[in-house]
Amino acid sequence: MRMDKKGSVDTVIECRHISKEFTSKRGTAKVLEDISLQVRKNEFVVLFGPGQCGKTTLMNVLSGLDGATKGTVYSHGQEVTGPGSERGVVFQSMALFPWLTVRGNVAYGPKARGFDKDAYTKKSDYYIDLVGLKGFENAYINQLSGGMKQRVGIARAYCNEPDVLFMDEPFSALDAQTRYLMQEEIMRIWSTEKRTVVFITNNIEEAVYVADRIILLTNCPARIKKEYPIDLPRPRDYTSKEFLLLRDEISKNMDRTL
Amino acid sequence: MYAIISIVSFLILWAIGVHYSEIKIVMPGPWEVIKEFVDSFINPVGRHTMPLHILYSLMRVVPAYLVGSVFGIVLGILMGWFRPVNSIFRPIYELIRPIPPIAWIPISIVWFGIGEGSKWFLIFLAAFVPVTLNSISGAKSVDPLLIKCGQMLGASKKYIFKSIVLPFSVPYIFSGLQVGLAGSWATVVAAEMIRSTEGVGWIIISSMDTNDVTQSLVGIMGIGIVGFLLATIMRKVEDKLCAWTRREV
Repeated sequence: MRMDKKGSVDTVIECRHISKEFTSKRGTAKVLEDISLQVRKNEFVVLFGPGQCGKTTLMNVLSGLDGATKGTVYSHGQEVTGPGSERGVVFQSMALFPWLTVRGNVAYGPKARGFDKDAYTKKSDYYIDLVGLKGFENAYINQLSGGMKQRVGIARAYCNEPDVLFMDEPFSALDAQTRYLMQEEIMRIWSTEKRTVVFITNNIEEAVYVADRIILLTNCPARIKKEYPIDLPRPRDYTSKEFLLLRDEISKNMDRTL
Repeated sequence: MYAIISIVSFLILWAIGVHYSEIKIVMPGPWEVIKEFVDSFINPVGRHTMPLHILYSLMRVVPAYLVGSVFGIVLGILMGWFRPVNSIFRPIYELIRPIPPIAWIPISIVWFGIGEGSKWFLIFLAAFVPVTLNSISGAKSVDPLLIKCGQMLGASKKYIFKSIVLPFSVPYIFSGLQVGLAGSWATVVAAEMIRSTEGVGWIIISSMDTNDVTQSLVGIMGIGIVGFLLATIMRKVEDKLCAWTRREV
């Protein structure tokens, strides 16, 4: 393991005193205010907060897709200055390449980074199998259901073997049934192939089901309100007493929005 | 099926109209035109039979269309994707764009003579202008999230251009190719006005000298049918290359 300049040996991604403002003609909107957090290797962290509170902005800053107004993001002690293959993202809107097959999408990262054909085919087939899409390798994206599409999104991010995987409300576009199924699936996938995950959601049940640690954010501008380590054994039961207690407590502490 | 009903009823209306009115002085009935059209396959109109006229016209359209399309795709994609290229070429392109190809006829004769050169030039323009326009809008409309996605997956700028910008633009390019093909085929008539002794355009132009409305309509029919076939072939090619844009679950 690489030694870190800052924080513990285990810290994969860290941000210090992040603030983010958006300036437009109508003035300046502060979206993030003084956020500092650390994510350990193979930890499943959930950023949880009310809708429109700035969770996605925080993820964009952490992943390097967007810059911070103040503060710095470190990945393994190195400053993050832009997007890169060390930080994978699963997007809410999936953002798959419709002109490529499932295999083409999943293999995109390794192929772009110059792996040879044998290597990226083998890798992509492994991850396609892992997310449960074996047999659909040659299907085009518009032939898949919503749940299957997001499986492709997860496989594509996994296949590039990033240090951190960001998942921005990955299941919010799915219907309720599929959403439960995908929550179980993401736990199965993550247990098989451990990764450091930063998962964003505004669904409390989903947060408690998947998280090692929940970071509760306030309303916009987002600050860290409280952190909850979740040490319930996996697989978790949505209706167990402990689950419901946690769910209740965190819900009570969440800011209300209109 | 509906297509057949629509065409047959059009022909019947035409026949009735001609039969029961004074239009027949300037307008032959449909059967006469169809008979003449079929006849033109065996007996030459002017120097050649219809298939040869069509072939001559295609020999003017196809090479000029292909060259115009290639230029249009390359320039359009570069203009749509690279800001400096756009800044340099956009103003010139915008000035040329609204000029109809036939406006270039006198200049094309001065530049390229009355041979094939001037005809190729006009058809080139008819293809180049719409193909460029659609290629620009293809490269401009690339979803920025997909570009971010490419960056996030570790793709270089060059690889993003090749693997995201180009395939994303393909459906746009194809609609430009369709418009350009129709335009090129239509322009051949004008191009063949510049002195020619063959081609479907010539059939129409020469009918003007003899006031032969039937011959004119035969030429129009030839242009219509070939134009339709070209568009159909193009659509088939597009279906093959853009299978991913079709929705099927």
